[in-house]
Amino acid sequence: MPEAFTLVISAVLLAGFYAAMAYGLGLIYGVLRIVNLAHGGIIMAAAYLTWQLFDRFGIDPYLAIPIAVVVFFLIGVGLYLGLVRFLPRGPAGAVQSLLLLFGVWLVIRNIVYLLFTGNDQAIQTSYATASASILGAHFSVTRILVFLVAALALVALHLLLTRTYLGKAIRAVAQNPDSCTLTGINVERVYAFTFGLGTALAGLAGVLASTLFAFNPSFGASELLKSFVIIVLGGLGSVLGIALGACVLAFAEVFSIYLVPPYLTTAVGFVLLVVVLVLRPGGLFGQKVLR
Amino acid sequence: MTAAGVRGRIRLPPWISAKVLIGFAVAVLALWTAPLVLPLGDYTHNIIGLTFMFMAAALAWNWLGGFVGQISFGHSAMFGVGGFVAARLMLAFGLPTVLGWLAGGLVAGGYALLWGHPTLRLRGPYFSIATIGVGEATRLIATYWSDFTGGSSGLSLPLSGGPTKYQLYWYGLYLLVAAVVISYWLRRSRIGLALLAIKEDVEAAADVGVNPTRYQDFVLFLSGTMVGVCGGFYASYQAFIDPQDMFSFDRSISFILMAVIGGIGTVLGATGGAVVFVIIQEFLLANYSQLYLGLYGILLILIILFEPLGLAGLLLRLRKLTGYRPRADVGAGGPASTTADTETESVAATADRSPP
Repeated sequence: MPEAFTLVISAVLLAGFYAAMAYGLGLIYGVLRIVNLAHGGIIMAAAYLTWQLFDRFGIDPYLAIPIAVVVFFLIGVGLYLGLVRFLPRGPAGAVQSLLLLFGVWLVIRNIVYLLFTGNDQAIQTSYATASASILGAHFSVTRILVFLVAALALVALHLLLTRTYLGKAIRAVAQNPDSCTLTGINVERVYAFTFGLGTALAGLAGVLASTLFAFNPSFGASELLKSFVIIVLGGLGSVLGIALGACVLAFAEVFSIYLVPPYLTTAVGFVLLVVVLVLRPGGLFGQKVLR
Repeated sequence: MTAAGVRGRIRLPPWISAKVLIGFAVAVLALWTAPLVLPLGDYTHNIIGLTFMFMAAALAWNWLGGFVGQISFGHSAMFGVGGFVAARLMLAFGLPTVLGWLAGGLVAGGYALLWGHPTLRLRGPYFSIATIGVGEATRLIATYWSDFTGGSSGLSLPLSGGPTKYQLYWYGLYLLVAAVVISYWLRRSRIGLALLAIKEDVEAAADVGVNPTRYQDFVLFLSGTMVGVCGGFYASYQAFIDPQDMFSFDRSISFILMAVIGGIGTVLGATGGAVVFVIIQEFLLANYSQLYLGLYGILLILIILFEPLGLAGLLLRLRKLTGYRPRADVGAGGPASTTADTETESVAATADRSPP
């Protein structure tokens, strides 16, 4: 079963990246009840930032992570304070927030297109082609590194949400913003921080994606879709839920090569989404509440 | 006049008011005769014909996005299916153009039901993101299924037999008339009330005996069929189609933009939005083609932030400035379908009533 083993490891490595990618979307939805449609655009923009840092200043993509995280945290807070804050809350705001953030996505795409043209770009690090052996099967070092970084980020996030005062405030706002104002939590500030954090995570995912894939300004649409599939699968719950959702998607995609031609792997995620939403509207694991 | 149409014994369906009917007939007649009377150039003539089609497509999107409140990012799927099925039928069996469009439209409607029936039970963002998936998956399949769509090299339509590009103007007008009539029917009949109830609160609607699944499926089928027919029209208009264009994400965006610019959930607004969209497309962006996405994005952001009802909202504001007040019964959530003046007011009332 060497081939199956290789596929399993590939799926796990992929799942790590997927989990990091999806968490930003899940966090923002869990707390603000807004689907950040600009998520894919942020991922794409972060990939371009990484590429520029690497190309112009010779900064290694993995060293660019803190820069990208800070930059996109600030962008996220800016987006919240400048735009999202003015939307009505509740069901009326849901449609408006979708369209607004969709507009933001279009603007990001256009800016990147104007700056760097629509050509495909890729980052060629010195170790891009290096591979490591796990129990006899070979895997690219980049993919292993991506997995490790993603796993670290998820653990850090889990600790932030469960062990710190700020994390407690975020979870409290997710449960009931009105009661939070009574207990003296600045809800608006928590919203701004959460939106920033979610955007920073998308930025991190973008940095990681830039080392794995070639990208162009329309990159990010399928990443958004996959992130959404994962948060639905995982039930928008804990880090664990997201990780499980990412695993389900990654395994389904990797093993679908036995069934469908490779260009249809995007469709695999979608079919999975529909099947799960129809059978278990609350997600595979747990509820749709950030606990 | 309007009150008589509602309470009196005039034998018109309750969703038609005589005033609107006469205005509509005059407008259609004017548009029908305009090319025969006015010295329009070929280019303008053709563009107006295409605009009619876009208006119809925007209205069809609006049935789902505006009346039911289910924002679809995947309507390019039906546009493409309609276009390609129509083209294939004309090529293979020499089907007359209009029959080809209708067949393409029905297949597109069926396709919409195929993915829509399971996904329409989702609400809000869940449904919207699922439609992104539908659009992308359909585009991928269409691009790689080159036996049917011609792959990246596309498909040329038969040159003879169908209406000429010049004649398509009137076909476009008929398409628009059909879309407007269906829009008013959906908005003002009992169905419109049911759709409004579903939009406001699915569970409450189900509790009072409105079957959300049936109504939503029906509206999606109608919407998909109309967009499919529009796709067929577009195929005839261009005489050449390729999947990258027909199924592109940008095409889905264009339907949304037209409706949002004009005013989501309104009838006149969505048609006006299509006009603005075509004007932007043809006259501004011909020169700045690399800016179009960003411009649309900025337009979306500005509209959502400042006037979520788009042109219709602006119009309403203007009328309020000049002393007009919407009727009290609309504001109180009364039978919105019976006030047959302009529909903007009932939509505005809906928007005002939504929870903060």
